[in-house]
Amino acid sequence: MRAYLIRRLFLLVPTLFGVTLAVFLMLRLTPGDPVQIMLGEYGSKEQVERLRRELGLDQPLPMQYVKFIARAAHGDLGISIRSRTAVVTEIGDRLPATVTLTLAATALAAVVGISIGTVAATARRPLIDSAVMAFSLIGLSMPTFWSGLLLIFAFSLRLGWLPITESEGFRALILPAVTLAAPASAVLARITRSSVLEVLGQEFIRTARSKGLAHYAVVIRHALRNALIPVLTILGLQFGALLAGAVIVESVFARPGLGRLAVNAILSRDFPMAQGIVLVVGVMYVFVNATIDLVYGFLDPRIRYQ
Amino acid sequence: MATWRWFGRAAAMVVAVVLIAPLAFAQVQPRPGGELVFVTTEEPDTLDPQKTSAAVTGNIMRWLGDPLVTKDLSGNVIAGLAKSWTVSRDGLVWTFQLRENVKFHDGNPLTAQAVKGSIDRALAPETKSPVAGALFGPVASVTAEGALTVVIKLKESFSPFLDNLTDPRAIIVSPQAAQQLGDRFGRAPVGTGPFKFQEWRSGDRVILVRNPDYQWGPSYAHAGPPYVERLVLRIVPELAAQTAAFERGELTVTFPAVIPPTDVRRLQDTKKYTFFTFLRKGIANMMEFNVTKEPFTDVRVRRALAFAIEKKSILHIALEDLGEVAYGPLPSSIWGYWDGIKDYAPGYDPGQAKRLLAEAGWQPGPGGVLQKDGKPFTFQLFIVSNDLARKVAQIIQAQLRAYGIQMEIQPFEFGTLLAKLRAGEHQAETLGYTYTSPDIFFLWFHSSNVGTGLTFSHNKDPQLDKMIVASRTETSPQKRLEIYRDLQKYVVDKALWVPLYINTNYIAIQPNVQGTKVHPDGYLVVADMYLR
Repeated sequence: MRAYLIRRLFLLVPTLFGVTLAVFLMLRLTPGDPVQIMLGEYGSKEQVERLRRELGLDQPLPMQYVKFIARAAHGDLGISIRSRTAVVTEIGDRLPATVTLTLAATALAAVVGISIGTVAATARRPLIDSAVMAFSLIGLSMPTFWSGLLLIFAFSLRLGWLPITESEGFRALILPAVTLAAPASAVLARITRSSVLEVLGQEFIRTARSKGLAHYAVVIRHALRNALIPVLTILGLQFGALLAGAVIVESVFARPGLGRLAVNAILSRDFPMAQGIVLVVGVMYVFVNATIDLVYGFLDPRIRYQ
Repeated sequence: MATWRWFGRAAAMVVAVVLIAPLAFAQVQPRPGGELVFVTTEEPDTLDPQKTSAAVTGNIMRWLGDPLVTKDLSGNVIAGLAKSWTVSRDGLVWTFQLRENVKFHDGNPLTAQAVKGSIDRALAPETKSPVAGALFGPVASVTAEGALTVVIKLKESFSPFLDNLTDPRAIIVSPQAAQQLGDRFGRAPVGTGPFKFQEWRSGDRVILVRNPDYQWGPSYAHAGPPYVERLVLRIVPELAAQTAAFERGELTVTFPAVIPPTDVRRLQDTKKYTFFTFLRKGIANMMEFNVTKEPFTDVRVRRALAFAIEKKSILHIALEDLGEVAYGPLPSSIWGYWDGIKDYAPGYDPGQAKRLLAEAGWQPGPGGVLQKDGKPFTFQLFIVSNDLARKVAQIIQAQLRAYGIQMEIQPFEFGTLLAKLRAGEHQAETLGYTYTSPDIFFLWFHSSNVGTGLTFSHNKDPQLDKMIVASRTETSPQKRLEIYRDLQKYVVDKALWVPLYINTNYIAIQPNVQGTKVHPDGYLVVADMYLR
């Protein structure tokens, strides 16, 4: 187990190396120059050149990348071009809001998705199954910027129950978390349904039934536990999707998260900031998936790592 | 029955007038306290006026600091932190007398030495100032002569100098605080303004509190500290969420964010809110021709397009009529505007357009497309890549097609667009500008700015240059007005631009807010606002 963990951590290095290189190149290949964006149309050619030199953006690209990596290895992600503050500090300010939102949405998506998926698979009436699947189709197809606005319209403007732009406290978390969780819970419901159906057709279920176990005991104790392995895999992948989805949801609900910081960084071509955010999110993503790998072992003792 | 109904309504009105009148005529004393919640789409980059390049930071700086000189509600330059000033005959030596008893928020007094420290910091290369440094122009030296006298010497005459000093990014900051805080100054700025910085919650809000010592405000606002206790600037990136939050009462003012035209109409229809408007200081959208590229080397072709484009429908479709049609290069909101341009400039006249095109040798060819020497009339219009610019370009495209002109739309990211326009790769483009003074003639039309600055028409015209230089060196305002009138006529005659429209900005305010004034430079006089 420990060997596995260590190997997993070592694998982080090439992954993150690849991710940062990709972001570094993508940002610089997209048209748009941070200095020109800062100065706008009234910035003269001399001003642009002066500021570019002062910010070290006139150096050759490989040199800029090597400097970035060398500093990142020491935990220094550089200074933001746009705000002139340390990237690490700004990310630290924003990270809690995004993590809270993503965790809340993940938990909500898992609970809702797995329950309705199980209900759909075991419902003996086809009407319930269809209703659940139709519901999940809507959740999956509705873009979050639209569903978020619909929720604001219904629960904040019409009913007046929940705040729109507040960012602190539990009440402020409800609408964004529901918005973000909706597509993920739809995905999980579908996976759970098909996975439970598959398990229900297996022989050990018939054995369990024939020894006289109640329907719900069979489903929960035997079927669901075995059906959860593919669901967990998807949940891990969904975590990444939720982090990405947080970008939009944070904008709609004016939450001070990492997603909006990333959007601003990209729009203003704030290279150090964008690279730093991708690095941090990449680390989080890799860690979550490593954790999920470990959970497999608890769910199914046959899975062990050498 | 009808009579009774009429009588009832009349009676109700009498009652209403009797009830409301005392309220309306009673002298309402501004009540101190409470908070105003503003909203911005864009998060400030930094609250260091000398390091910022974000427009929203400029707004915050008006609350947080004072410039040496400022502008009154008619646009005249008046005393700010300097109570008076003189300039040498050659325009190189500026002497400012500072007000007495002004204190920075950190308790330090405003002295000539502090002003010098602040300006020197803006100019220092290690500040890496994007905007503020350039505002002061070609400064040779800043010296403190006595406790309250500052002398700024310029290397060469720089006509926008005084105007630039009124910019909120030219406010005087506490040099002691800037030095002590270093890089953190941008998150804890210290000025002399009516409000002090309290907190910036990243991605969420900026909070300022009343400066109780404030006695040195500009003459157009009431004397003494502002009425409200707190100013909160919420950061809400989504336009729909901004309007929803305003309607729910989470925001007091929809400013400095800009509400989209559809929301302006809807909020107006509710009749619940107070609205303030100001005309953009600039042309929101103009079509500009590169005079070195065919087919726009011919002034008749350029003028033909000026007659061919129908601007009213562009304003209607793009802005839901929340603005004005533009005629010349200046809007009425910038000093120097000549009112006669409305009648002088080409209006919508398809007959005249066709006549000019025929005169220039363009004849209908196959498929109705105009032809000259076997070549069809096609050109590319470069635009900045956003929805509004694209929408406007498509309307123009459809309008020109009726004359047999084929226009292709070519969108670019803003920085790339500027580079291409500087290099002169375009035939024509649409752009907008915002500026405080008529010096835009120098920036957009002087031949010295071809290739490096904003002279995207690539027009090198000694006569135009001569007029522009005269506008910058002439000191009599009356004569300058005449020069600007001639410049507006000249640009229209040569059809370097087809100015399209100027947008009006709308600010919606909750009904319990009183005392609101809008400065013509496009901001609210916050010190005078109070809650009922």
